[in-house]
Formats: sequence, structure tokens, C-alpha cells
Amino acid sequence: MMGELVVRNLIHRPLRTLIGVLAVGVEVALIVLIVGLTSGMLSETAKRIEGIGADIMVQPPAASILINFSGSPMPTKIGEKLAELKYVQATAPALLQFNSSGSVDTIWGIEPESFRAVSSGFVFLEGHDLEGPDDILVDDWAAKAKNLKPGDTFNLLNHDWHVAAIIEHGKGARLFVPLTTLQDLVGAHDKASIFLIKCTRPEHTEDVMAEARQLIPGYTIRPLSAFLSLMTSTNIPGLQTFINVMIWLAVTIGLLVVFLTMYTTVIERTRDIGVLKSLGAGRAFIVRALLTESAGLCLIGILAGIGLSYLARAAFLAGFPTLSILITWPWILRAGGIALLGAMLGASYPAWIASRKDAVEALSYD
Amino acid sequence: MGITATIREPAEGLTVPGKKSLDPILKTENLWKLYRAGKVDVPALRGVNFAVAPGESVAVMGPSGCGKSSLLYVIGGLAQASKGRVLVDGNDLSAMSDAERTKLRRSKIGFVFQRFNLLPTLPAKGNIAIAQFIHGDGFDPHRFEVVTSLLGLAGRLQHKPSELSGGEQQRVAIARAIINEPKILLADEPTGNLDSKNSEVVLQMLRQLNKDLGQTIVMITHNPEATAYFDRVVHMRDGVIVDGVPAD
Ligand SMILES: Nc1ncnc2c1ncn2[C@@H]1O[C@H](COP(=O)(O)OP(=O)(O)OP(=O)(O)O)[C@@H](O)[C@H]1O
Ligand SMILES: [Mg+2]
Repeated sequence: MMGELVVRNLIHRPLRTLIGVLAVGVEVALIVLIVGLTSGMLSETAKRIEGIGADIMVQPPAASILINFSGSPMPTKIGEKLAELKYVQATAPALLQFNSSGSVDTIWGIEPESFRAVSSGFVFLEGHDLEGPDDILVDDWAAKAKNLKPGDTFNLLNHDWHVAAIIEHGKGARLFVPLTTLQDLVGAHDKASIFLIKCTRPEHTEDVMAEARQLIPGYTIRPLSAFLSLMTSTNIPGLQTFINVMIWLAVTIGLLVVFLTMYTTVIERTRDIGVLKSLGAGRAFIVRALLTESAGLCLIGILAGIGLSYLARAAFLAGFPTLSILITWPWILRAGGIALLGAMLGASYPAWIASRKDAVEALSYD
Repeated sequence: MGITATIREPAEGLTVPGKKSLDPILKTENLWKLYRAGKVDVPALRGVNFAVAPGESVAVMGPSGCGKSSLLYVIGGLAQASKGRVLVDGNDLSAMSDAERTKLRRSKIGFVFQRFNLLPTLPAKGNIAIAQFIHGDGFDPHRFEVVTSLLGLAGRLQHKPSELSGGEQQRVAIARAIINEPKILLADEPTGNLDSKNSEVVLQMLRQLNKDLGQTIVMITHNPEATAYFDRVVHMRDGVIVDGVPAD
């Protein structure tokens, strides 16, 4: 009976219900997408770093795991010293340059030979390796996003690049250029942002790291395998706070709309509340009826939110193929729980008001 | 009939024509109801002594503003008495909390209003069933069947209030009021919004409820003709009852 009352009430004012449902849906979708985008991008980045195939990464002191933003570069000489360590098979320097004009990209300046030595090498889908100074390698995702094919000319950092090849994604970056060209371009002669180390055997990773720490104390030295577990929002300064603030904002929107919806409902149904009281309904019944109604509204909203999340992801990925949005059931459930809690909170004041209405006054309400 | 100036003494053992002498099912003793309007207290009831025997049907008449609705609300436990006692089936409402009065209302009182007051979102069936639901015993199909056929609602149960005539709405409201077999049915001008034909149907049904099921009824009315359907007529004026002469 309570179910019938709730359903009938919800369909009695379809527009109001729709607005409430949409608000909760947007709330849920916002949470799912924000979390999905950050965790998707982070894990995708981590996988790409891991996918390089090297064992160790050396970064400047106090460097972030977001290697794109890692402070001032180091002299390439360090790489030569690292190469002399026991159990080191090969080292490779890379200069990372962040570019945000036009699109957001990180360009890696590499030496093709040393990079091939530390990694298992690129998979060339089309074209050939870096040969000329203006050659650029573009991974398949970026090629799709920028609509590039081998032979195309492509301007980046105020420089015209010649697309030498389309490579398979998953090797650290999406764009690779010759190290020396990039060094000249950004004025960082003989400098590198990171060094990649390949050990003679993977089991020697710990030993090499210990040696390297003695050789260059203070530098950030991490195994590549650690990136996947380290690359979480809590490890990126400010990111978790940002996510939390976004979640709070989303919840606030949902809460306010549910509040307003239920508040107008209570005012509109003042007389009905009087009628229920005349039938012997107590305060608890009135509160229960209204909370059930907002819970119903919220549940429909959550379903809408799930649909909206997948829809928005599909739309984003169609427009921006290099984005990675990770929608997971734990987070859908969490977002649903958060939305439900917000809805209950938003409905509790209107429900309380309704339960306290004077029966006689309510019955004479027009 | 004439209106005597004396205030009726509270009835102890009421004698109703054609009925056994019984303890009243409803009784008020020196009942006062004050409304607070700004800084002054407006008395709506000023010492009402009133008693109704089980199975009795009583019509309450009186000029507008004399306190009829107030009396009904206090008797039904919707409003708190300011002074005096209200005994419903032996329970003193004036000493009860809001929650206790709600509980008593749930089991012993049925209300019918001038404006029907059906829940607009529910069909007739739901409007009746919700009373059973609130009462707490769940849906009783047998009682439902008896009540709805008695009130001639069988074909209209799936319709929403907006799809029912005034007379039908009021019959649904009566069905809702008596579905839980309340001790007392309280009706505040139930025919006030109905044309004479529908009024007659409603009044006849109320009489039938009273005669066939022994339903105790207290009804407020402005219509002198309506009183013919009742055992007794009570007149009110300025917050007191001014007589209690049996109608027949
Ligand atoms: N909530 C209230 N606040 C202040 N005064 C009130 C309130 N309700 C009723 N009154 C006053 O109490 C008196 C009795 O009102 P009541 O509604 O009981 O009269 P009534 O006999 O039912 O009148 P009617 O025949 O018009 O329905 C009136 O003077 C009315 O103005
Ligand atoms: Mg009245």
C-alpha cells in the first residue's frame, strides 16, 4: 500500500518527478564520471609507463609520479654513470615536454637506440622509426584523435614535425621525437627528465636501485612496476581533495533539488497530510511515506545516472579518443549510496515539517 | 422545535427510544476549546456537556461559527481540549498526548468531511484500503467487499476522485471512514457540497449504516431536512449545547 501511494504520488506530478530524477541522475553521473575519469587516466598512464618494459625509472629529487610535471631536468651524464652500475644492461634518457596549446600532450624526446635497448621496442603499425631530426612517432590513439597518418606534417611546440610512424599505444607517451631536437627546441641541452634502466635480470631491480641510491642520493628512484599501485588519486597532491569537492558539489545539488521537490510536495499535499492524520496516521507514518517517496525518486535517479554515465562516457570517447574513463560497479554503488543518503537528508526536513503539521489546520488548507 | 436556554446536564445512563439504556460511548464534560488568535483566546467551545449512546445517531445543528466543527475535532481527537473531559469508549482524550490520540483515532473514530478529502492520487479502492493499511491490520477483502457493496461503489473502485461525482466521492469517503469498524463515525456537513439528490443518497446510506450495522454516528448539518434521518438532534449556540430533544 505504501508502495502504491508512493508510485501514484510520483506519477501524479510527472514533471516534478522528472526534475528530481534528473538531478539525482546528474549527481550520480558526475560522481561516477569524475572518479572514472581520474582513475581511468591515472591507471592508463601507469599502464603506459609500465608498458615501456624497463625496470627502473630515475627522476629528479622529490619528483611526482605524474612524470609529465616533474621539475627541472637532470644532466644526461647521470645516465652514463648509471649505465656503469652492476647488473645494469642499458639506460635511456628521455626529455619530457608538456604541451597544452591546441591539445594537451606530453612529448618524449628519446634516442631510438637506447630507448629500444631499455624497452622491448615499439610496435610499428605504419611507417618507420625516428630517422630525421624532425621525425615524430604518434601512437594509434593520438593518431586517431589528431587524424594523422605517416607522411603528414604536424605542428607542435611551434615546430613542424614529419609523422614517421603510427605506433601501438602503451609505451610511456603518445608522441616521441628525437632527443636532441627536443633539447634544442626547449633549450635544455644535455638534459633529461627521466632515465630508464633495464637490468640484466628483473630480479636485480632491488639491487640496482640500492646502488643507484648510493650513486645519486636524493634522486627519486622507483621500479616501474610500482607505478600502477602508486598512481592513485590519493598519491597525487590535491587530486583527492578536488575529487572530494566535486563529489560534495554533486551531492549538494542532488540534496537541494530533492529538498525542494519534497518541500513543494509537502506544501501541495498539506490537506492530504491532514487527511492521513484524521485516518489515524502518526508522525512516523508521515515521515516514512515521504522518505519512501524520496527514496523511490532517488532510486529512479540512480538508474538514470548509471545510464547517463555510460552515455556521457560514450560521447566523450567519441570526441576525445585518448581519454580513459573507468566506470566501475563499486563506484556506481558508492555513488548510488551517496545519492541516497543525500536524498534522505534532503527529504528529512520536509518530512519533519509534514509530520508536525496540525491536523485541523492541514484539513482546512486550500 | 424550540430552543431552550438551559444547558443540558451530562447524561449518565442515556435512554434512547427503541434502544436499551447503555453507558455512553462518547461523553464530554464541561468541554472548552480555546483558539489563540493573536494575543487573545477565542473560545469556540464553552463548557459543552454532550453524550451519545452506542448505536445512536445524532445530528448537530447550529449557526455558523457556533463551534460545531471544533466539537467534532475535539471528540475525534484531532484537536486537543483546552479544559474539561472527553471520554471515547471510556478513554479520556483530554489527558492524552498527541500520539495517544492518534492511536485512539486510528481504532475508534471515522471522519467524513464536507469536502470529501479523498487522496487525489489514489483510486477509490486505494483511498479505502489506505485506511485499513494505516489501521495496521492490512487489507481485509471481506470487510472491503461488505462496505463497498453497501455503499454501492462496486463499479467505481478503479476510478480516481477526479473521475467520480461528488456523491460517489462522498460515498468513498464514508467507506474509508467505516472500513475499520470505528466505534463512532463523525461527519462534518457531509452533504454540504452535494445536490439534493446525492444528499439524500448519502443520508440514506448513513441511516442504513446506523440501523443495519449499529454504527454510532454524530453528524453536523445545516439542513433541517437531514435531521429526519437521525435519532436525535442537538442544537449548539455560542460554544454550548442548548438542547437535546429527541427528533422523533
Ligand atoms: N484555528 C482557529 N483559530 C482561531 N479561531 C478559530 C479557529 N478555528 C475556529 N475558530 C473560531 O472558533 C469558532 C468556532 O468555529 P467552528 O469552525 O467550530 O464553527 P462551526 O460551527 O463549525 O461553523 P461552520 O458552520 O461555519 O462550519 C468560530 O468563531 C471560529 O472563528
Ligand atoms: Mg464547521
